[in-house]
Parts: sequence; structure tokens; C-alpha cells
Amino acid sequence: MFFYAARRFGLALLILFVAVTVMFLMIRAVPGDPVQIMLGPRATPELQARLTAELALDQPIIKQLMIFYGNMLQGDLGIDVFSGRSVTTIVFQQLPHTLWLIFASITWSASLGIALGAYAAAHPNTAIDRAAAAVSVSFVAAPAFVVALLSLLIFAVHLQWFPAIGAGEGFWDRLNHLVLPAFAIGLSWVGYIARLVRASMLEVMGESHVRTARAFGLSERRIVLIYALRIAILPVVTVIGVGMGFLLSSAVFAEIVFARPGLGKLVIDSITTRNYPIVMGSVLISTGLFVISTALADLINAWLDPRARAAR
Amino acid sequence: MSDTLLELDCLSVDYETSRGDLKALRDISFDVKKGEIVGIVGESGCGKSTLISSILRLTAPNTRFREGEIRFKGRNLLAASEKQMRDLRGADMSIVFQDPMQTHNPVLTIGRQMLDIQHRSRSPKAEKLARAARMLGALGIPDPEARLKQYPHEFSGGMRQRIAIAMALMSEPDLLIADEPTTALDATLEVQIIERLQELQREMNCAVLFISHHLGVIAELCDRVVVMYAGAVVESGEVREIFHNPKHPYTRRLIDCDPGHIKTRARVLPTIPGEVPDLAALPQGCVFRDRCTQAMPHCAAQVPPLSKLEEAHHAACWLNHGEVPA
Amino acid sequence: MADMTVELQKKTRSELGQILTGVARDPLGLMGLVIVGTIVFCAIFAIWIVPYDPVAMNIKDRLQGPSTSHLLGTDQLGRDTFSRVIMGGQVALKVALPAVFGAMAIGLTLGMIAGYGPRWLDNFLMLLFDTIRSFPTVMFALAVVALVGPSLQTVVLVVMATSIPTYGRVARTQTLTLQNSEFILAERSMGASMARILGVHMLPNIIGVLAVLAAMDIPTVIALEAGLSFLGLGVKPPTPSWGALLKDGYSLIRQTPWLVVGGGLPIIVATLGFTFLGESLRDVVDPKLRKQR
Repeated sequence: MFFYAARRFGLALLILFVAVTVMFLMIRAVPGDPVQIMLGPRATPELQARLTAELALDQPIIKQLMIFYGNMLQGDLGIDVFSGRSVTTIVFQQLPHTLWLIFASITWSASLGIALGAYAAAHPNTAIDRAAAAVSVSFVAAPAFVVALLSLLIFAVHLQWFPAIGAGEGFWDRLNHLVLPAFAIGLSWVGYIARLVRASMLEVMGESHVRTARAFGLSERRIVLIYALRIAILPVVTVIGVGMGFLLSSAVFAEIVFARPGLGKLVIDSITTRNYPIVMGSVLISTGLFVISTALADLINAWLDPRARAAR
Repeated sequence: MSDTLLELDCLSVDYETSRGDLKALRDISFDVKKGEIVGIVGESGCGKSTLISSILRLTAPNTRFREGEIRFKGRNLLAASEKQMRDLRGADMSIVFQDPMQTHNPVLTIGRQMLDIQHRSRSPKAEKLARAARMLGALGIPDPEARLKQYPHEFSGGMRQRIAIAMALMSEPDLLIADEPTTALDATLEVQIIERLQELQREMNCAVLFISHHLGVIAELCDRVVVMYAGAVVESGEVREIFHNPKHPYTRRLIDCDPGHIKTRARVLPTIPGEVPDLAALPQGCVFRDRCTQAMPHCAAQVPPLSKLEEAHHAACWLNHGEVPA
Repeated sequence: MADMTVELQKKTRSELGQILTGVARDPLGLMGLVIVGTIVFCAIFAIWIVPYDPVAMNIKDRLQGPSTSHLLGTDQLGRDTFSRVIMGGQVALKVALPAVFGAMAIGLTLGMIAGYGPRWLDNFLMLLFDTIRSFPTVMFALAVVALVGPSLQTVVLVVMATSIPTYGRVARTQTLTLQNSEFILAERSMGASMARILGVHMLPNIIGVLAVLAAMDIPTVIALEAGLSFLGLGVKPPTPSWGALLKDGYSLIRQTPWLVVGGGLPIIVATLGFTFLGESLRDVVDPKLRKQR
């Protein structure tokens, strides 16, 4: 398990390393003065001079790349054009809002999806199963930001059940503000996860070891909930890990629609004010988040499934 | 007959399919006495699997019990509720399945699974685990306490089948059903496991219904044999009688085709030509007729009854009837 | 050899017919076909369908509700929402189709090279694919837009770049599987060139699976284009895009609900249509794929 984890995180680091390189080359591929491009038109001359010195633009490109890596390793993602504060600090200040939103979204949708899928698999081809399947397909199709806008229109503006904007103060108010955005982000996941769980559950229930469990008189409840579901949710873990990218993207939109603080709002605001260091920093941090979450999903899978541990 | 444990009485089972009923079992009658080992022989597709899943009622949803009874300790199982069946499974009767590689849950430790199957016992967890370890030890698994913490994939096929047998015997059942338990294993392992099974069976005095197509194992292990073909019993009797004095052409061909019985070095292994008939559209008369070298006109007219030839020997073939009714 | 080619073409043509009948027989597939057909039809003949010029302003008639003259009302500049919805479909397809087919072509080529070529190249391409996939799509798009500025071409390029790895991976897996199949081994032993093996024998077998992926990818692209336009980072105004409609609708959400509905519904319907079609296609073309997704 230890070696597996080490290898998996090694791969994650390698991917992150290549990602940073791609990012660097992308900035360089745009014609013009790199300092101008990286800082945007709003930067002060002092800041430009400072970055020019830091980037060592007179040095060969390999040397520049090394300096770039060096800054990354020290957690230095640059400086905010306006306030002069470190980008890392600013991004990490906003990150918790986004993470909470993602966590809330995936928690409600995965629990409901797993329950629906397991129920549908235990009662295949019944009316409820078919209804769940039809609803699942329709929900999968709905892009999060459209759902966000429509639910804002219906539940916040017209029915006024939930607040329209902001993140709220205090625990209950925050929770109340979380409902609509988490609903919008999670909706398509419910159907997706339900379908996934139903399919893998049906497959597992047909496997020999389930017949063995039945032959020993274990209760159907125990067989479904412990013997089969534990195997059937393995793909869900992977899908959520890989889906971190989608979740982040949805969160960006939900934060804009509901005017919530967070990574998405930070990036969009920074693009409008042409505060490029913050944009780049946020993109790198979210890439890191994604890489870590896929690695984590693999580790959780390995922990849940002893076969995966042995196979790799 | 108070020493009869399991009794099948004219059992007929169909599978409902889109192309009509599949007559998987027809008119099956035989019994298993307490502490006895009965072998069931036949090619694949002869209904052995349907037979054991019917006894345990682990049948597919499209299974229909058309006729007959399955009596266990005098009680008709076909009339029992699902709850009553569950109480029997893994307690009074248990089963060892064919493929040891698929039979255990891959994500739970062996110890956890052996603990879970003792769900009826009220003993403390430590005691249950100790019992599991004792059982594994009895099946010849070294260092059983440590191995309880391992997952199925960490065991070889032979080891997994030993575990499966240990699990099946842990409740000291009255009846153990073994569905080709050694088919997936190589010959030396097969002998070892069969010997262990025999020892434990004697110790516990449980009856065994042993399904196999390996005649050598059947001859070695069993007291009596039931030969099945295309969903029906064609011959049954004491093991010695069946092997030395087979009365049904199918049994004779089966013995001839068994690699263990071929003494001269043949270039080609003998086989029985032809195929098992389609169970959805059975021909009239004897089901073995098309593949039988001794078929007579009368075989096409009427199904031969399973008739008593000697005290412990039944066969279903018109050849044993001296004068064939016209 | 010529005979074989003719045979192959005949086979593919009848196969295409079979696939379409299969899709049409599935209720969801039929619904998908109808929706997608309608969208494509409206996009092609948009200029003749729209009752008003979608960019013509008419301040007198601003922010109207639905009526017989304006089916979906008008926006803050008095532009007819229905006309903008129809034209928006054209814009959505203009982004989605080149992006998806471009990504498919490049992904196919790279994937086949990875599967067929030397080991080191395979490893390198896979690492590159994994890396590109690890940029969250929207974040990546935002970074690019920030660097080079918003435009239709930027959206197409970003979508292409981010979805190439998906096609590449599938094409690689298929190539690896086919490589060891008997007919490819037989061709090889007869000394067929690499180009011939890849082009004549592998391509027809891989393209079906990729087409299914592409059908299911189109809604994602449509949503991304609409999303970027909603943020004001996609197509530039006054080009009518569903996303731009939503952007206007969002700022006027307390005055009129019709802009949000007019922009949101077509996205949901289009997504549904392409998803139904894609899933139905998948079941008909390759039922095994069902498990992989």
C-alpha cells in the first residue's frame, strides 16, 4: 500500500510538472513582451521591472524555465498587480469557499445517486427503476450553469425560498446560501452516479460470490448493502476523482450566478480587471487540485479494493 | 425410512423462456441417507446445476417447479417460505461451488467472510474467529490465524477451495452439496482435497451430494451414484454395481470415455457422438435414443421408466425389459 | 483487391443504414434524431426562419413579454429573442462541429500512432494526454482567453485542445486491441505497409467508436461555448449566442424571465437531443462501450 501510494503520488507530481511546463510555454507562445503578458496592462512600472529581473529574460529559455520551477516549488505564484500581495495567499483565501461548495454538491448528489442506483438494481425493470432511468438521462444532460440560472430564476427570484446572492454569515445562513448552488452543481451527478451504480450493482449481483453469500443464508439486506455495494461503488470513487475538473468548472459558474466568493469569482474578476498573475495562479492551483483528487481517488479505490493494490 | 435425509420425488423443473418452456429436470427421484455420499454424474447441461440450485432454492427468477417434492428431513422444501429456506441454508445444508476463484467476496478478508457466515451463532467474535481458524487448520491450511486477515486474491485456487469447504463445513451441516469442487484444480490437489473432505465427512457424519463428471473421484468417494442425462435420471444404484455392471447404454459409454478407464493407449480419446437434445423441444420416447447404438423402434415410441433391476440398482432403458411391449 | 474495396464500401453503407434503423427503433434514439435534426435544420435555414433580424435594435419594443409578434419577447435593446435563439443554434453548431471533428481527427491520428508506434512515443503521448486532461476545462479556457482575448476561434481551439486526449486514448486502446487480432496479424505476415494496415484495416474499425464519443461530446462543447459567452468571454456581442442571451437575461432577471428561459431551454434541449442520440448510437454500434463510460 505504501509503495502504491508513493508511486501514485509520483505520477501526480510528474503530471503537475508537465502541466507547469505547458503553462510556461503557453505564455511564451503568445507574441509580445512576456512581462506585459504575464502582468497585464494594469501593472505598475516598478512591478514590471521587478518581474523582468525575476524572470531573467536575458537568460536562455531553459534557465528561465528553471527559475519558473524554482518559484513554483517555493509556492511563489507571483504578485497581485493591484495590492502587491502574494497570489498564493489570495488564491488560498478564496479556495475554501469553492471547496465547501464542491463538497456539498458531491455529497448530496452522490448519496442520492448511490441510493437510487442501488434501489433500481435491487428492483430491476419495475416502474420506479424505469422512472429513475428516464429522469437520470434528462438530468445528466443539464449543464450546471443553466440549471443554476433557472433555479435562481425560479427558487430565488420568483418563489423567494432561498437567497439569491452571496455566501451568508453564520452556520445556518451559510447552509441556506449553499442550497441552490449545490443543487445546480449536483443535479447532473445524481443521474450519472445512479446509472453507474445501477449498472455495476447489477453486474456484481450476478457474480458467484453473491450466490455464495446467499447459500450461507445471509440476509438480502446484508448482501446488497455490504457484500455487493462495496464493490459496486468502486467506479463511483474514480468518477468523482476524475470529475473534479467538471466540478471545478461548474463551481466557477455557480459562483458567478449566485455572486458567491470563491476561486471562480476570483478568476473572472481578475480577467475583467486584467489582473493576469491571479488568473495564472488560480489555474495552476486548480490543476493541482484536480491532479491530487484523481490520485486520491485511486488511493481510496486501492484501499477499498485489495485486488487493485496487488495488481499495480 | 427415518434415516433418509434428502428425498427427491418425481421432481420436474422448467425454465420459462421466450421460446417456450425449457424442461430442465424431468421426473427426478432419488434419495440421500444420513451420513451417505451420493454422486451425481452427467455431461454439462444434464441438469446437475438446476438440481442443486433447486434443492437450495437459489434458482433464477424464471424457474418453475412443475411437479414433485423435495423433502429434507421429511419436510417438503417446495412448500417452505423464503425465510424458512434461508434458515436452512448454511446451517442444515451448505454448498461448495465449482469455481474457487469466484466464490469469495474479493473485497472482504477471509476472516470477515467466515465471521459473517456464523451470523446465527451468539458466541463472541473472538470465539467465532478461533473456530474459523480451527476449520482452516482442519483443511490443511498452514498458519490459519494469520491467513484470516488476508483477502481471497492472496490465496491459490487450491487454497481457496479448501477455504470454501471449511466454510461449508463450519456449521456442521447434515447435508453438504459439492458442485464439481475439484474440476478447476489439478490432479494432485484434487486427490488431497478429496481425501480431506472424506476424513471430515466421516468425523462429522454429514451426508454429501457430490456432483462431478470425473468418474474416478465418484468411484473413490461415493456410496451410491445417480447418472443423469438431459434432465432425467437414467440409472442409479450402488457405486460398485454401476461401475461393474452398468445397465444403461449411456452409463456404459460414459465409463468407456473416462480417461482413467482407457487402458490401451488410444490415438483418439473416445467420445459419445451426437449432442444432448434441445430441452425446449424434446423428442418423443427415450432422450438418449439419437446417440444410442442399440436403439430399437420402440425407444422412439415411449419413454422408458426408471425400473428396479436389483435391490439397489435402477435404470431407464428398454433393453432391460426382456420383452418389449409392442 | 479492387473487389475487396467495393465489398468494404458496400458493407459500410449497409452498416450505416442498419445503425440508423437501430437508432430510430429505440424511442430515446428517435427522439434524439428528431431533436438533432430540427436543430441542424434550423441552423442551416436560419436566415429564412427568423422573423426579425437578430441583431436589429428597436428601442421602442424593448423588454416585451411573449406575444404573437415576438414569440419569446424582446431584450433590453428590443431585439427579437426567438430570432436570436434560432441564430444562436447556428453559432453553437459553428463552434461545436469544427471543434469536435478537429479534435476527433487529431486524437485519432495521435492515438493510432501511440498504439502502433514505439513504446517511448506511446508513453510520451500518454503523459501529455494525462496532463492536458488534468487542466480543468473551464479553467484552461479562462487562462487562454485571458492570454489571447475572447473570440469564436479561441473557443474552438480550447475545446479541441482539451478533448483531443479523450479521442486519443480511445483510439490507442482500439489500436492496441486490433493489433493482435487475427486479420491484422495475417496482413502483417503478408508484408502490408504500416500506412495500409492503419488506414485500410484499423481506421474503419476505430472510427465508429470515436463517432459515438463525438456525438456525446457535442453537448459538452455547446455548453462550454454558451458558458464562456455567458461570462462574456466567448463570442463577441452582438453575435446571437445562447450564452449571450443568458448573460443579458441574468442581468435582467428581476425584470424579465424570458431571456433566461429563451437562452436556457435550447441548451437543455440540444444537450438532451445529442445525449439521447449518442447513447442510442453507442448501444447500436458497440454495446460493450456502455461499461467503459
